[in-house]
Amino acid sequence: MSGAWRLLADDGVGAAEGLALDEALMGRYARGEPDRQPTLRLYSYRDHCALVGRYQDLGAEIDLEACRATGTEVNRRPTGGGAIIMGSGQLGLAYLDRAPTGGRPREIIEEFSAALADGLARLGITAGFHGKNDLEVGGRKIAGLGLYVDQAGAMLFHASVLADLDVGLMVRLLRIPAAKLADRAVAAVAERVTTITAETGNPHDAATIRPAIAEGLATAFGVALEPGSPDGDELARAESLAARRYRSQSWLDGRRAASDASGSALLRTPAGLARIYLTTHGDLIKSAIVAGDFNELPDALVAMESGLSWRRLDHASVAAVVDGSGASAALGVPPEKLIAAVIEAGRQARSTAGAAGPYLASDVS
Amino acid sequence: MEMAGWAFVAGFPLALDRRYEAETHMWVLVTEPGRARIGMDPVGIETSGTLAQLSFAPVGTELAVGRPFGQLEAAKFVGPLVSPVSGVVLGVNDAVAANAGLAERDPYGAGWLIEAGLDESGGELAGLLADPAEITAWFTTKIARYRLEGVIAQ
Repeated sequence: MSGAWRLLADDGVGAAEGLALDEALMGRYARGEPDRQPTLRLYSYRDHCALVGRYQDLGAEIDLEACRATGTEVNRRPTGGGAIIMGSGQLGLAYLDRAPTGGRPREIIEEFSAALADGLARLGITAGFHGKNDLEVGGRKIAGLGLYVDQAGAMLFHASVLADLDVGLMVRLLRIPAAKLADRAVAAVAERVTTITAETGNPHDAATIRPAIAEGLATAFGVALEPGSPDGDELARAESLAARRYRSQSWLDGRRAASDASGSALLRTPAGLARIYLTTHGDLIKSAIVAGDFNELPDALVAMESGLSWRRLDHASVAAVVDGSGASAALGVPPEKLIAAVIEAGRQARSTAGAAGPYLASDVS
Repeated sequence: MEMAGWAFVAGFPLALDRRYEAETHMWVLVTEPGRARIGMDPVGIETSGTLAQLSFAPVGTELAVGRPFGQLEAAKFVGPLVSPVSGVVLGVNDAVAANAGLAERDPYGAGWLIEAGLDESGGELAGLLADPAEITAWFTTKIARYRLEGVIAQ
């Protein structure tokens, strides 16, 4: 890639308005539109916005009452992935271009992850894409990623980079099953995510990390960034999208083919009881957390939790992660016992979920 | 390991009884004159991410080369399923719509995606990879590239 990208920077945007502008910008890269330079938008939402993934159940993921009580705006992204809290402490990234011919999704995600890691390196942080799901530092998530290609062939790469994070607020606003049930909810989440503030020891927010992230992306892709602003057509389209879609109850309610579900199972270890919490989507594990009286969360457990994300809930897939992580040794239990506990937590989750039915896309043209 | 009509390339099975679209990893198996089954090869699936949901345009929808016939939702990706042929949707695989993992477990068989009535007036089938040697070379090159990039496991 070479040439120049348009760079947009804006802060304090509302949930509907922020998402609508991303989609409006995307429209310029649809099949049949004139060729134009890619756009990189580095922005932040106002404190605070809770955003669910496209196919998530709003009420299951977000405590709507807590959001009302704290003045938190709620909305739904067009991209997949999980629920997140956005605000001045989190830098949103939207890259918009025509989807490359022949580029596979994981190639594109890998390329952007490496570029984001380049930006983090400028802040003195070594991050990697080891879990194939999130950008991590020492097994802790520091940025979430998602790629969306629309039916017209336009591409949106989305990321949220944690400059800082109010974990207490996050636990209050998001329905994180394991965190809600565990005794040490805030600590449990804090052990699994990190921020640029935590890693560097210096206070950061979206605005202070923006230059480094921009430089990292520009260097990694070999492009110049040209500061710009949305044109009149883009702003008008964004306003229309905000009104028609992102402020509509039907978009917030969404539609889903299979509900996310959660379940847990007890595991007796030489050091005491541990509980494995799983969130599932059909026969997929979306997330896993092991809670117990650990003085310090063993790295092998973090590796297992990360590895279980987006794995099939079957013996072979779970066994591969358990065996590869060293988690059974860290817990002092035989691998089969740990595998059985993970499968049982999944069985519990699936027993609480509604059956998934066939599902036809209504927006296929 | 060799079986008639099959190759195994760097750990991935490759069915040689059908045609392939080189960029999207879609396969096209002509089941009778004017009719074909369409699916995605295992490398295409692996490079999409773990599949969460597959959805398809309704029966009767017109198909055009390079245009979507459905949507794929994976771990970190939502995007179109892109048609390798023109024609019309004659059937969709409800089993794979209900359980996307079927496409991972049996990509050339029970994990097929749609059935299409083919519009062959544009000679589009001729643009797909059809020669077994050519298909094997393409598949081998793609796997090597994705492994080099770290996109699929070694």
